[in-house]
Amino acid sequence: MPLAAPPSPPSTSVSGDVVIAVRGLTKEFKDFWGRRKARAVDSVDFEVRRGEVFGLLGPNGSGKSTTVKMLLGLLYPTRGTIEVFGKSPRHVVTKSRIGYLPEESYLYKYLDSTETLDFFGSLFDLPGAEKKRRAEQLLEMVGLSAARTRLVGEFSKGMQRRIGLAQALINDPDLVLLDEPTAGLDPIGCREVKDLILALARRGKTVILSSHLLSDVEDVCDRVVIYYGGKIQAMGTLKELLAAPDEVRITAPVLSRETMGRVLEILRSEAGSDRVRIDTPTQNLESYFLGVVQRARQSETATSGATSGGQVAAYLRGGADTPASSDKILERLSLAEPAAPAQAEPVAPAVDDRRLDQLAQGEAKPEQSPQAKPVDLNEANRKLSGLLGSDERKE
Amino acid sequence: MRRILAIARLTIKAAVRYKLVWMLSALLVMAVGVMPMFLKAAGRPQDISQLLITYSLSAVVGLLGIATLWLACGTLARDIEDCQLQMVTVKPVARWEIWIGKWLGIMALNTFLLVISGAAIFLILQYRVSKLSAEDQRLLREEVLVARGSVKEPAMDVEPVVQQVFNERIKQQNVAAMDRTFVLQQVREQVKQEFQIVRPGTGRRWRIPLGLARFQSAGKPLFIRTKFTATEKSPSGTFVALWQAGVPDTPKLWRYQMSLAPDAYHQFEIPPDLFDDQGVLTVEFYNPNETSLLFQLEDGMEVLYPEAGFGLNFARGLGVILLWLGLLAFVGLAAASLLAFPVAAFFSVGLMVIVFSSGTMAQALQEGTVWEVNHETGVADEKAPVDYIILPVFRGALQLIGLVEEFSPIDSLSTGRSISWNQLGRAMLQVWVVLGGVFALFGVVTLTRREIALPPGSN
Repeated sequence: MPLAAPPSPPSTSVSGDVVIAVRGLTKEFKDFWGRRKARAVDSVDFEVRRGEVFGLLGPNGSGKSTTVKMLLGLLYPTRGTIEVFGKSPRHVVTKSRIGYLPEESYLYKYLDSTETLDFFGSLFDLPGAEKKRRAEQLLEMVGLSAARTRLVGEFSKGMQRRIGLAQALINDPDLVLLDEPTAGLDPIGCREVKDLILALARRGKTVILSSHLLSDVEDVCDRVVIYYGGKIQAMGTLKELLAAPDEVRITAPVLSRETMGRVLEILRSEAGSDRVRIDTPTQNLESYFLGVVQRARQSETATSGATSGGQVAAYLRGGADTPASSDKILERLSLAEPAAPAQAEPVAPAVDDRRLDQLAQGEAKPEQSPQAKPVDLNEANRKLSGLLGSDERKE
Repeated sequence: MRRILAIARLTIKAAVRYKLVWMLSALLVMAVGVMPMFLKAAGRPQDISQLLITYSLSAVVGLLGIATLWLACGTLARDIEDCQLQMVTVKPVARWEIWIGKWLGIMALNTFLLVISGAAIFLILQYRVSKLSAEDQRLLREEVLVARGSVKEPAMDVEPVVQQVFNERIKQQNVAAMDRTFVLQQVREQVKQEFQIVRPGTGRRWRIPLGLARFQSAGKPLFIRTKFTATEKSPSGTFVALWQAGVPDTPKLWRYQMSLAPDAYHQFEIPPDLFDDQGVLTVEFYNPNETSLLFQLEDGMEVLYPEAGFGLNFARGLGVILLWLGLLAFVGLAAASLLAFPVAAFFSVGLMVIVFSSGTMAQALQEGTVWEVNHETGVADEKAPVDYIILPVFRGALQLIGLVEEFSPIDSLSTGRSISWNQLGRAMLQVWVVLGGVFALFGVVTLTRREIALPPGSN
């Protein structure tokens, strides 16, 4: 698969408000004597626009976290410029529009969940009642309502990620920077975080997601940059980066041996026998796991850990009421698309003859990633919009 | 302000949750409530009370001082090292707000603990006094549990006399240029000694203008506080002292003979209203011994007069101690703004050691070098190159230290001296605004410029 679409210089003419503009960004770490130890980020350029979910991908030590920390004013560039909402990252007032979840839990271990949210809420000058209301909703959303008086230091890693995510959203930020947000989370938590990111994006929030978990990025990001050695190796939309225009995938119900033989014969005569592969599609482990948990929950099996999160906090939904506000996102999604066990009989979709014709005539162009996805993003969006009300992404 | 208070509350919460407050409280209870019970002191009730005040307040200052330095270094440096400060600095909080918030939190804790400790000391004192006889109580309330103002003879300027004698000496003798400093110093000591010495069979008179104190002390007894040294030892260990106070050549005179030990402060009462129409009190000393006695110009003689009650004076004394603790918090936070926790703590303690070494610095300045001196002359024959750098540093350091050392509330409270509102205000200006301001400015600027998320070992 071709990986690298050449990184293009940022252009201010692209439609949409520019939230982050990075130009020629370089960061060198030096030792006590000023000698260069490492160049963590090297001449990086990119822009992020309002409402985008922007992924920073790369292996460990590739410069993702350093970039995030420079965007937040925690590190200062050696060269280059950064503008966040048109200001320096060190501009104090601008920070009231930003939420940040670091790669590890850097929270105060001697505070409990409620105190943590109360403290960070105080830094935003939120009125007491509003701060309390948001804290309640956030604790419900991240599934820590039952652990509100437990000290953060006693939390498991996953629970610390949850409370970290809650504090990042206490100010209803316009820009959310999430550094490895699903690290340490169970599959349910991962799914909830991804759903939340999509929900935020639908409200016109900008999300920067730094991760080396490709599935996370693939599930939610509009555009990504791929780092290696501190440099951007590839940048673009997932569609641009993942498309394989010289291959197609045909999915069909189980066919009779004769039919299969005829199809294969046709295909092999067109493409050559070494280029045609046949396998049985399977759902991925995430979907299977979620199905198992959903059934366990319906049979009311108790757990002493964090519960799965509730619906997205009301203030994060922009005040729009949901049609069925008591339902949890996960439950709705799961109920709408029940994950069947691997042995279950697949539901037979209708054969799209027109599409098959197009493919047979060689006119088709891939519309989506050739990889099968556990949850169709457009479908998830549509369902979430039903949950979140009528807020539309403002481009 | 809400953000600053949030940081302050967080600092307090950390100290409480990490049990620092409880541990400190337990130590303070031991130092203030338990240990004084085992104090073995014989003598007058005034002496025992002085010892109790000095010991208790010194213990409180010591414990709270160390805790303040430790907490100030820890609360900021550990927040940076554990990356928790990253979570705060990405919020709309200026770094100076974080700095001030932490300082306020530390000071809130200090205020609470100091008030509790001070109240305990005060109540213990009052309880002990209530167990004494009426006469002892009266004496205590006149000498220790009181706020007394102090007046001294106006400072004598000996330099004109010194210069005159020195000029005559070099006219008479050919003094080499390099010896002139030594000769000048010798002349100065001789002149000062002439003013200080009371030879056998002679006397010394002090004229002390009371100023406004004449009105405050009208009708009340005054106290003479004096100290002398002797050129020879007395077989009995004491010397006879003949004192006279009042208006000379009038019946308004008080005379008393007493036996006093050298090298110790003595305090005795004189009748009220012995000053003249101008408010000047004349005190005379006659030396009937066969040994010369010396009354230092600086602290040989002073008159104490009742100014106010002990309670408010004690509160003001605690106020000065709180100012000291505030300065320590400034120092600890300034160090932690730049250094890692152990280094910051070590630096802060080191700085305290330097402050306590001010005597060594003063001696180096007096000798004119940090290296060897000529043992015959007591000064350096020639300055070393390093002296041109170190001595000005010492001079500056001493001036800064002097801003703090000028105030000694423990000494004042234990000797029944007044700590005026004016002194408290001046202490606040010098200790917090000037000295604390220097450290705060350094700390805030350093923290503001610092890259909070820098990996350890990076610059």
